[in-house]
Order: sequence, then structure tokens, then C-alpha cells
Amino acid sequence: MPTIIACFKWVVDEAYIRRGSSGELDFSSVDYKISDYDRNAIEEAVRLKETLGGTAIAVTVGIPAASKGVKDALSRGTDQAWFAADDTFGHLDSSQTAATLAEIIRARVGRYDLIVCGEGSGDLYAQQVGPRLAENLGIPCISFVQKAAIEKNMLIADRKIEEGIEVIAAPLPALVTVLPDINSPRIPGVRDTLMAGKKPAVTIRKDELPTVGDALLQTIDLAASRMERDCERFGTDASEISRFVDSLRKKAVIV
Amino acid sequence: MAGVWIFAENHEQTLELLNIGRQLAAEMGTTVSALLCRGHDRADDYINRGADEVLLLPPLADTQSLDAYIPVICEEAKKADPNIILLCATSRGKDLAARIAARLNAGLCSGCTAFKYDAESKTLIMERLAYGGAAVQKVTCVTRPVMAAIPPKTFEPAAHEEGRRGQVRELPGLASSTLKVIERKMKERQVTDITEARVVISVGRGIDKKEDIDLARQLADILGGEIACTRPISEELHWLPEELCIGLSGVQVKPEFYLGIGVSGQVQHVTGIRNAKVIAAINRDENAPIFKAADFGIVGDLYDVVPKLIAELKK
Repeated sequence: MPTIIACFKWVVDEAYIRRGSSGELDFSSVDYKISDYDRNAIEEAVRLKETLGGTAIAVTVGIPAASKGVKDALSRGTDQAWFAADDTFGHLDSSQTAATLAEIIRARVGRYDLIVCGEGSGDLYAQQVGPRLAENLGIPCISFVQKAAIEKNMLIADRKIEEGIEVIAAPLPALVTVLPDINSPRIPGVRDTLMAGKKPAVTIRKDELPTVGDALLQTIDLAASRMERDCERFGTDASEISRFVDSLRKKAVIV
Repeated sequence: MAGVWIFAENHEQTLELLNIGRQLAAEMGTTVSALLCRGHDRADDYINRGADEVLLLPPLADTQSLDAYIPVICEEAKKADPNIILLCATSRGKDLAARIAARLNAGLCSGCTAFKYDAESKTLIMERLAYGGAAVQKVTCVTRPVMAAIPPKTFEPAAHEEGRRGQVRELPGLASSTLKVIERKMKERQVTDITEARVVISVGRGIDKKEDIDLARQLADILGGEIACTRPISEELHWLPEELCIGLSGVQVKPEFYLGIGVSGQVQHVTGIRNAKVIAAINRDENAPIFKAADFGIVGDLYDVVPKLIAELKK
């Protein structure tokens, strides 16, 4: 029976990011969540496990507060979790995240059949960790998958490309990155949340891991993107609708 | 050896990368090499559009996927030691870029939309969007090659210039690949390309049922535009095809006029319309984020407002 790993990232909920008065990013009122795309990855790992039997394992690298995400991942149906936690793990680049995940999977998880990652993270959306992880582990990678199945020790996946779909077969173990349309992630119930507390979850400290290399990509600036608009309001009665249309005509965007 | 390498899946994208590749190469005082996986008969045209060298990749077998090129590209890169590798960020291009970067121990700027070469420090500063489009991130690569994956249509195609000279060279054959393409299901009909539309009328979760998209269609017909939607409409409800979904991970539009009907204005969607000249919105929630991104907003029930608007426009 297969062992299926789902990787996820604990990210800032981008809906709460504000633009500060001097254009800086204001994170003061943000909340955190499992990256939306990674919820699809977790769901797919759990769905395959429920179909085929076996084990679904959640793996993440993040700041210590990501332990909330570990519990969330377990309540979404994974059976166990590995969590590399450190204050510095909030700012790893894709190559460092992939190297750390590869280390956990090799040294702690051991044998596995399939790794499922989201197509990208909800925060930086570099879309690199999945393919880099596959390269680090030396296994086949199929990205942007919208349908996945395991048949006779082969992975069969529909990859979405610009011109349509490629149906691809790969020997296991393999890695897929999944698109949001692959499934609808479940919403954990109270019972799921209670069960999650009883499932095995191992936290790994930074000093228990081999040192990963320096970041290959350096962020030299991160500022709020500018979106300056007139923000003029109109009412709903006939004269206001007419004023609205006049405004559009004045801007010459409609005839 | 050095240079700027470019790789794209098709002709249009190759021309876009040639354009930016040529600009960067001129600033850095180096050459441009174009890797070609198809259209080998166009090598001379690419030379006239800025390539100093064209590297011909062998054709793929029917069952091979694009990633079969990874070993040969990496081998060649190790020999030629390019300064920069630019790839077109199609689905397969992004996959290829990340895996080549892993093998070459290189940094990669995904979704790169702008470059600035700092001649003094000899660094290439690259720009991309982050946090669903709420932020602009500037990055540099620490190791060589510097890599970037550039979305299609980010740059204009390279101009033709008669009489340029360049070399054409064939790269060695491919090893067998572990991935096997067992079927290709190509799209039958070409859906409307909304990236070039002058007017875009977009629907969001505020509409109650699929039939009501007709309200948007009526507006689009009157204004000579196209309809579009937010992600839930195409991906969760499947009321419209995904080619009409605007957003950071969908289509990015640049119309004269964008109107959102029942669109709340999630940051990812707003990122897809940021280059519209005028943005307007109709939404009954006065606190909907779309109003902060809009020039003109009508706070009201779309089922009341849109028919009135259609009547006014027909006058």
C-alpha cells in the first residue's frame, strides 16, 4: 500500500496585507493559513490514500508558529506529520526549502511512493519547490497536474499545458504539483480536529538537520504594489446611472 | 564563454525573449544564444532578430515530454557557462526552468516582468509580483547563471534587422526519458483571447446563477467587449471556461474599460486588471475591496443596477 507525502507551507493570508503610508507592506493585522494551493495537495494525498489504502504524511518547513498548520494538515486527513521548525525558516528561498524537505523525506520518512505539492505557494508563488524537490531526490516530476491516479506502480497524471492536456505516465516514486481544480479540499469538522491531536507529529529542530546552502535568490526589496484609482462612488437611481455613463464617456473608454 | 541564453516553446515567445535577451546582452557587452526545440528552419530569422548563436535541440519523440531536454541543456550550460538563462514561463517552461536551476545550483526569478542591469555592481535586478499581487518583489541571483522565467506577452517581439551574422549549431541527441506521454488531448476550439479586448465585463460570485451571465454578455455586446470572470466562477462553479478567468494565476488583461459585476476584488483578481485604463465595479457590499481598486463604483444590487445601465447605454 502506498505512502503518499503532501508538502505544505504555512503562509501569511494575503487578504490582510495592507499598504502602509509610505508604500511599505503592513503585516500588522495579518493571519496565517495553510497556503490555498497546498490544501489541494493535502486533499489529493488523502484522497489517494482513501482510495488505495496506505499512509498519508504531511511535511512542512516553517516558523515555530506553523505548528498550527501541522494540526490543520492532520485534521484534513493526513495520518502523521514531520515539521522542521525554526525562527529563520520563514525566509528560506525555494532551493533551501526544497533541500530541507528532501532531507526530512530521505532521513526521516524513508520509503515513499508519491509526493504531492501545490502548484505554488500563496505568498511568493515562485512555483519552484516541487520541481526542485524532485531534482534533489532524483525522482520524476510532473507539474501542473489536474488529475492523478496510481495504477500498477505507475503514476498516471493529466498535466495542463497551454494547448490542452498531456496524459503522462511515470514510474514511482514520483512527484506531482497539483492545480486547484484537481479537487475540492475538505473542511475539517470538530471530530477531525479532535482526532488530529492524537496523531503522531514530530518537530525537528534546525540543529538536528544538516546545514543547507545559502539562498540562491536574494530579495533586495519588497514593497506594496501601487494601485492608484479615483474611487468615485455612484448611487443606483436613474440620474446616478446616467452620471456614471457620462463619466465613462468623458474618459473616452466607451462610445 | 558567456552570454544570454533564451529558450521558449514556440515562435512568438522566442521572439519576445530575443527582444529582452538582446537588450540585456547589449548592456552587458555579451552575446545571445537561442535554444530551439522546433522551427529549426527559422534559425536565420532569429539571427536577424538578435541571436548571435542558434542552438538546435533534437526533435522529441511522440512519447517524450519537454523535460527530456533538461540533461542536454544542463550539459551545454556547464560547458558554455552562460551569464543568464531566460525561459518562457509556460506550464512546461516553468517546470523546465526550476529543474534546470536545481541542477545548475542557480537562483531563478519566477514570473519575472522587468529587468534592470546595474553596470557598476554587474548585477541583474529582477522584478516580480508577490502576495497575490499585493507586493512587488525585487530579487538578484547569487550564483551564475542568473535565471528568470518570463510570462508570455511580457515583452514585445524582437525587430528584424537585415544582415546580422550568427552561428547555427546542433546539440547532441537525447537520452531516453522516464516520463512517457501516453496521450495528448488538444483543445478543440480556440476560446476568445480576452487579453486583447478593449472592454472587459467580468462576473464574480455576486451573480446567483449561470443564466445571469447573460446580463454581462448584453453589456459586452453593447460596448463591443468580451466577458470574463473571477476564479470561483470558472474553477469551482465551471460556469465559464478557465480561459476567461482573470487573475494572477489566470489571464491578465489590459482593456480601456473593465467593469466588475458582483466581483468582490480579491487581490489575485485585481492583479489581473491592474493595467486596465478605467476600472468600474458594481457590488452591493460597500466594503468590497474592489471599490478601492476602482475608478468608479456603484454600491447596489447588480440585478437592479445592470438592467438600468443597459437601458441607459441603449439610449
